[in-house]
Amino acid sequence: MLARLTRSVPALCRALHTQPNSTTAALELIRSQPSQYIIANFVGRKYILTPRDVLTVPRLRDVDVGDVLALDEIHELGSREYTLRGNPTISPSRVRVQATVIEHTKGKMEFIFKKKRRKGYQKTITHKQPYTRLRIGEIEIPS
Amino acid sequence: MATLFRGQLRSFPANGHAAFVPQIRKLVFECCDRWPSSENTRSYLFTRLVELARQNPHVEIVVRQRIHREPIIRGFYVNNRDKVVPLNGLSLAEINQKVHLLLDSSGAKIKHLKRRNVESTTESTRGIWSGLHADRPAL
Repeated sequence: MLARLTRSVPALCRALHTQPNSTTAALELIRSQPSQYIIANFVGRKYILTPRDVLTVPRLRDVDVGDVLALDEIHELGSREYTLRGNPTISPSRVRVQATVIEHTKGKMEFIFKKKRRKGYQKTITHKQPYTRLRIGEIEIPS
Repeated sequence: MATLFRGQLRSFPANGHAAFVPQIRKLVFECCDRWPSSENTRSYLFTRLVELARQNPHVEIVVRQRIHREPIIRGFYVNNRDKVVPLNGLSLAEINQKVHLLLDSSGAKIKHLKRRNVESTTESTRGIWSGLHADRPAL
């Protein structure tokens, strides 16, 4: 039992005696860790995002391939042991994340089959949903 | 000193992360000089092609003859794939739509994207929970 206690104590101790007393101190702690994630609102939906990942959303019509978008609704910024939650969002001056539009594509062909039995009515609708894919850039926490 | 394997030094592509490289490299318009099926394609080439080339300096635009056949447009991409779109029976606006379809694409094979919201190669930031390394639950 003592062995089990001591195994969990180092992480607990570290989290206890590193209570940040300001947002800047909290951001310093998060920045000191090797990797970070954000929870951002994009086109009305929340996603957990890390650098270098590809986000697929329904087609954005007013955006060109190669355009860089700044994510301005970041609800949460976290790392392995620390999390900063905004109220409701974290100010863009504290965290900066950019997303680059890499392509506008269409999904695979969907076949929608409709039929009313004994009425001679049937039809097949073919549909390809258009999407926009974005690559998430680095999470910048300016000091 | 731990051995450093050559495989550990490789980097993984992430187009758009630090720098964005447009994936389309060449656009080839092929049409016939005489047949009426190429009429709209010919008028597109005469009226809108130069403007298109100016707006997309990264794309090499080629016009080829394809006699006694329907007009097509071929897009060549950086991943060595090509996309061929027929322009038979399309109006000028529809031809413009197809041209932009090729310009906006990345050349990757079409895949089912409905349930693929976030595709990530980074490891989990908060770590993965393990029952063997967690506190024993107490009632």
